[in-house]
Amino acid sequence: MIVNAVPPCQAACPIQMDVQGYVAAISRGDLQEADRIIRRTNPFPSVCGRICTRECEFVCRRGQKVDEPVAIRVLKRFAADRAESVVPCGPEKPYYEERIAVVGSGPAGLTAAHDLALLGYGVTVFEAEDELGGMMTRGIPGYRLPLEVVRKEIERILSLGVEARTSQVLGRDFTLHDLREEYQAVFLAMGSEKSFCPDCRGVDLSGVLTAVDFLKDISRGERPDPGEKVVVIGGGHTAIDVARTCLRLGAGEVSVVYRRTIDEMPAGMDQVEEAQEEGVAFRFVTAPVEFLGVKTVEKMRCVKMKVDKSCKGKGSLVCVEGSEFDIKVDSIILATGYGPRTEPVQELFDSLDGKVEIKDGSGATNMAGVFVGGDFLSGPTSVVQAIASGRTGADSIHRYLRSLAPVDTPEPVVLDDLDDQVAALVPRAQRRKIPALPVEERIKNFEEVELGYTLEEARAEAGRCLNCSAGAVVSYECASCLNCVLVCPYEVPRPGAERAEIDISQCQACGICAGQCPAAAIDLGLDPREKHREILREVLDRAGREAPGAFVLQFMCDFRQSRVPPSESGKAVYQVFRPGLGRMDVYELLAPFQAGAAAVQVAACRDQDCKFKDCAGWVRKNVKRAARVMDDLGLDPGQLSIVQE
Amino acid sequence: MMVAEAKPLAEIQGMIQGYRKILIAGCGTCVTVCLSGGAQQVEILAASLRTAGKQQGLAWEINEETQLRQCDPMFVQQIRDRTGEYDAVLSMACGAGVQTMAETLGDIPVLPALDTLFFGGADGQGGFVELCAACGQCILSRTGGVCPVARCAKGLTDGPCGGAQAGKCEVAKDTPCAWQLIYVRLLRLGQLHLLKESTPPKARRVHPARLVREG
Repeated sequence: MIVNAVPPCQAACPIQMDVQGYVAAISRGDLQEADRIIRRTNPFPSVCGRICTRECEFVCRRGQKVDEPVAIRVLKRFAADRAESVVPCGPEKPYYEERIAVVGSGPAGLTAAHDLALLGYGVTVFEAEDELGGMMTRGIPGYRLPLEVVRKEIERILSLGVEARTSQVLGRDFTLHDLREEYQAVFLAMGSEKSFCPDCRGVDLSGVLTAVDFLKDISRGERPDPGEKVVVIGGGHTAIDVARTCLRLGAGEVSVVYRRTIDEMPAGMDQVEEAQEEGVAFRFVTAPVEFLGVKTVEKMRCVKMKVDKSCKGKGSLVCVEGSEFDIKVDSIILATGYGPRTEPVQELFDSLDGKVEIKDGSGATNMAGVFVGGDFLSGPTSVVQAIASGRTGADSIHRYLRSLAPVDTPEPVVLDDLDDQVAALVPRAQRRKIPALPVEERIKNFEEVELGYTLEEARAEAGRCLNCSAGAVVSYECASCLNCVLVCPYEVPRPGAERAEIDISQCQACGICAGQCPAAAIDLGLDPREKHREILREVLDRAGREAPGAFVLQFMCDFRQSRVPPSESGKAVYQVFRPGLGRMDVYELLAPFQAGAAAVQVAACRDQDCKFKDCAGWVRKNVKRAARVMDDLGLDPGQLSIVQE
Repeated sequence: MMVAEAKPLAEIQGMIQGYRKILIAGCGTCVTVCLSGGAQQVEILAASLRTAGKQQGLAWEINEETQLRQCDPMFVQQIRDRTGEYDAVLSMACGAGVQTMAETLGDIPVLPALDTLFFGGADGQGGFVELCAACGQCILSRTGGVCPVARCAKGLTDGPCGGAQAGKCEVAKDTPCAWQLIYVRLLRLGQLHLLKESTPPKARRVHPARLVREG
């Protein structure tokens, strides 16, 4: 049985974001805390909140076994957009003397700059374009990622004291040699934007464009006319971005031609679906043979492909004989793969296979002090992969400059799958649909398509998180009474050899066992019992000072969407929040009276609304027990009540 | 295990009426398991008494402490130094715990907050049932593992009284007749012949019993 493990969402994330931590903070409406947790590992949450490939959602245990995954990406976007902007606190002046050059200001380069600045180094970022951001500002169209969102994140990084030099091209304006003279370490993260063009006749015709150049022009505000009929070749995000952009530029017929099947497309299915909604057509298992036309492209000759599954991996592609056909086109845009521009730093590349030579996972090259990262090293990946690479780069550079040994981080232990019988007991709750502009409106302009959640929607969606790995932990105080076995609605606790055992992979963190444990031996990961007691004491102290003998204490649930009805008594109301009211015990209901409360109200859910099975029933039982004690004490049990909106 | 239940609050309040500074002492063993005197119940009783004291204008100062096992002087010794400042200790242990604490602490009144009910076990539904009377001469080998001393309302050791109806005791209608249980169990075990043997009379126990550790 695993006793300490990370949830799969966190393990799948290239930067191991504390997903359940920030989702829990959102569910209780604490956006500042959510933003703080997010920014501990991710300097681009507003960007990832829009375009992340969301590895986390594909492994979400709710999605795997219960209903649909939690909308983690949109929740991150919500927290990052809505939290008040707090400038990260870096050192006022660099702490260390060494200066570091970062070449390329995409997510990898800027993340490295961010981390190195926070570590206390002076960092200068060199960017070939006239604006920082790499593909974030010069690749992804504004309807998916508005420029101002990226600019805001970049400003935060620059506010750490990072120096930026734009329109500086490596190999034209400066050389690697120059950098090594002036800086003690160099991080090369120039991305992967050299287009690979298919080996077709007619590729030089006018009207045949490369996706990267096309999208760069768009990001600069240019609005070229792609003509009526556009064909985009490729199956990645860029191909979809280009196709949707062409629709917005007024093209009548836009189709994406991809040589493999829809299941093999590197682009996310959500992107494909959105493109289809907007009217982009897809031709799968089709490849270009030749581009035809006089000076300007007019037709594209294609051939149908067949996947030979007998080969290893995805299978090799073979042309179907005699399947050639022509498509009329006004322009063709190639999104058929990218690689790094190696020319300015040819000395780092292996002459045989053309790959950059690195020593190990740190990204260190054979040239002392020169590190590589991001898409420049890996080829095209995702923003979050690039951020991860930037983080690794910053760490490696710090270790290199400070002569620190590399840390061998063990692979995290990941929670087991949710058992089917436990999953069957989890109350169902459908994923909140992500609001978006209507199709007819959005294809007319470059306005952002996705609108994000409202606070209510975000809290409700965050409340769907199963709080994996934040469940119950049994301490040595356990008296082995096995009350937890009797009360758990999910039938998770079991009698163990020494004491009760609760499998953290299966626990749903409702806390009912903790509230019913006579030895107070069960604690939960979300918030320890002692913290709850302390918060209650603080609130009661304050209430006792401010409104002695005349206050109302309300117990609220972090996950509850409805609220208590307005107080009519005119008494001062104080609120205490709990991540599920099922984890409360009878003491907590009585303690306010000891502090002089006039009334205690428990804002419990109705059974059908509650995130946790049987939680509302346990709240009622606890209230009834506490009311009995009050009756015994000669107090009016009516002072203690369950209130519902 | 010992099974106990909390005394009515009014009775407890009456007991501590004359004292000002009181320690509520829980026990981490049997009474924790039967949800009567563990750490959580100590907290609840303390909060209840503080609230009651406030209502009645009594200046009770109440602190809490839970020991692993109150029926062992070695555990009680651990808190002996701290108890000097109290006027009374309200013990949430069984009778054995209360007495051990009283004897170990010497000159501080130790008051029982629980009524000790019986030796028993869990019924698997969250409740507890009396199963043993600690008679000192166990006959379970002859009664199919069902004790008539503890479980027969009349304590009969040589067969049923004849008053049971539909397998239920005539004294308490929701209690199964112990001798019916014994019969069914012996039938299943193929040991009905044991019923033909009479149980020799038990020697009357002289209290208090002792168990001396072998030297």
